[in-house]
Amino acid sequence: MHLIWNGIVQAFELLIHGNPLVYSIALRSLQVSVPSILIALAIGVPFATLVALTRFRGRHLVITLINTGMAWPPVVIGLIVALFLWRSGPLGFLDLIYTVRGMIIAQVLIATPIVTGLSLAALQQLDPGYRLQILSFGAGRARLMLLLVREIRVPILAASMAAFGRIIAEVGAATIVGGNIQGQTQVLTTAIVQRTNMGDFAGAIALGVILLLLAFATNLVMTTVQQRSFWVV
Amino acid sequence: MTPILEARNLVVRRGRKDIVSVERFAVESGEVRVVIGPNGAGKSTLLRALNGLYPARGELRFEGDLVRSERDRRRLRRRTAAVFQQPFLLATTVRGNVEAALHRRGFDGAEVHERTAAALDLLGIADLAERRRDGLSGGEAQRVSIARALAGDPVVVFLDEPMAALDPPTRRGLLEDVQRIFAAAGTTVLWVTHDREEAAAVADTVTFLADGRVVQDGSRGDVFNRPASEEVAEYLGVDVWLTGEVVEGPGDALRFVLPDGAALACGEGAPGPAFAVVHPEDVTLLRAQPDAESLSARNVVPVVVAEVRARGRLRLIVLRWHGQPLQALVTRAAADDLDLAAGDELYAAIKAVAVQIVPRAARLGAGSPVDPAGEREW
Repeated sequence: MHLIWNGIVQAFELLIHGNPLVYSIALRSLQVSVPSILIALAIGVPFATLVALTRFRGRHLVITLINTGMAWPPVVIGLIVALFLWRSGPLGFLDLIYTVRGMIIAQVLIATPIVTGLSLAALQQLDPGYRLQILSFGAGRARLMLLLVREIRVPILAASMAAFGRIIAEVGAATIVGGNIQGQTQVLTTAIVQRTNMGDFAGAIALGVILLLLAFATNLVMTTVQQRSFWVV
Repeated sequence: MTPILEARNLVVRRGRKDIVSVERFAVESGEVRVVIGPNGAGKSTLLRALNGLYPARGELRFEGDLVRSERDRRRLRRRTAAVFQQPFLLATTVRGNVEAALHRRGFDGAEVHERTAAALDLLGIADLAERRRDGLSGGEAQRVSIARALAGDPVVVFLDEPMAALDPPTRRGLLEDVQRIFAAAGTTVLWVTHDREEAAAVADTVTFLADGRVVQDGSRGDVFNRPASEEVAEYLGVDVWLTGEVVEGPGDALRFVLPDGAALACGEGAPGPAFAVVHPEDVTLLRAQPDAESLSARNVVPVVVAEVRARGRLRLIVLRWHGQPLQALVTRAAADDLDLAAGDELYAAIKAVAVQIVPRAARLGAGSPVDPAGEREW
């Protein structure tokens, strides 16, 4: 209990006194996870809409793979990405291993199935009549997709929060692909592991509290946007 | 005059089954054509195929031009409008819904605002402009859907059971408003419904559809008063069926003869086994047998009152004649004056032309299935 209390106190001291190391680690967490979720949305939502609206051979298999992808262990994703980005790997020439961009690639692969799967489920819940109604306006396929996505914007935000929560809290992919290099690729989760391994439990708890506050703050923003979209006048 | 919308040899196929198969279907400018039929008849499928929402085989013309490609279908959809049983309002305000449809139809700028305001005013919902869809009642939501459809002055309005989800008072109010609006604007309407009262109220022409095929097609009066088959008549609420045979009499006279030999003079009908339909409105009741030469009705038959049923301000008198059912519809005052009660013996006067003959097991005007190899899909 004493340990936990010390950790909480240390967390606020670090924040209030503006510890540069802590701030840079927290900022780097956002630098990795925010672009990752945005890219995941840019890929996942249109892909989900396409799958929802199109009949093609193998559709059932594609949907199964999407749903399976939601449960892929981040450490396994990290391992696969690392194998590709390794200097001796097929994409080694890109020099992305142990970089923030490499970590973003890994987190996009973790987040995209979540965004895609939940968006697809939301679209399939929508009454098929919406598609006919929008088509009856004379809308083309692109506008149809846009209007349908607008109909499911509340579930999309929920999918974003679920995916963001997964990637900002994951440690496996960040460690393998990023290498946990202090000042370069260390993020809150990998720093927590490092402090714990060093026996600095108060420091680990402090970083944990900061991670929770960060997750809370970003979700507060997204929840506010979501509920404003939902609110009845 | 070229019909606004015309389809020939139209077939909508799902899997191996032809859901709709119609030889010819046309909607004239300014006409309110109602498609009626039982559930599963293919009415909505027909409407959606004509609106370019479902792929179909055959030939479709819109304003005289062939509709062949998806581009043509989009053009058709932009210049027409559809209202479904559910309003399917977008997740925005009432104003936003109408504006969204106008934008898709190619309107922009100030014209969108003007048309939106005019459409909301027309449907009496201008005060709901800033309300979101979840704050609307069922009737209000359907008014928004109709306003959204009419805002762009569509060439044809497709209505797919627009009143089916509404409670009776709301339905009545909206039906009156919509009829008034269509009549004033001369709107061309294709209206699908399973409700015969609604069809009778709005239709200029009626198409009866069953199993994806046209069973009868004609003016409202033709279809409702002279149903072409037992199926049509039953659906449209004809309760009086007499089973017998049409025989030719002396001169040009035609008679409908019951199995026990009792007969009614009828105006038209081909000799042979048939049903005779007599609408309750066409039966006049008398306490005493009239002098035959003082009456134009050729049929004056003795009947017995089986039951007197109240129908608002009217009374439906259920009669028996040679074991067969007849009905007469009279006012409450007339029923009181005649002091009608079960068991009373009366006379029923029926004009020969009111005895409508329906050939037994007849189906007229059915479209024949089309050889798919010879037709393009549009």
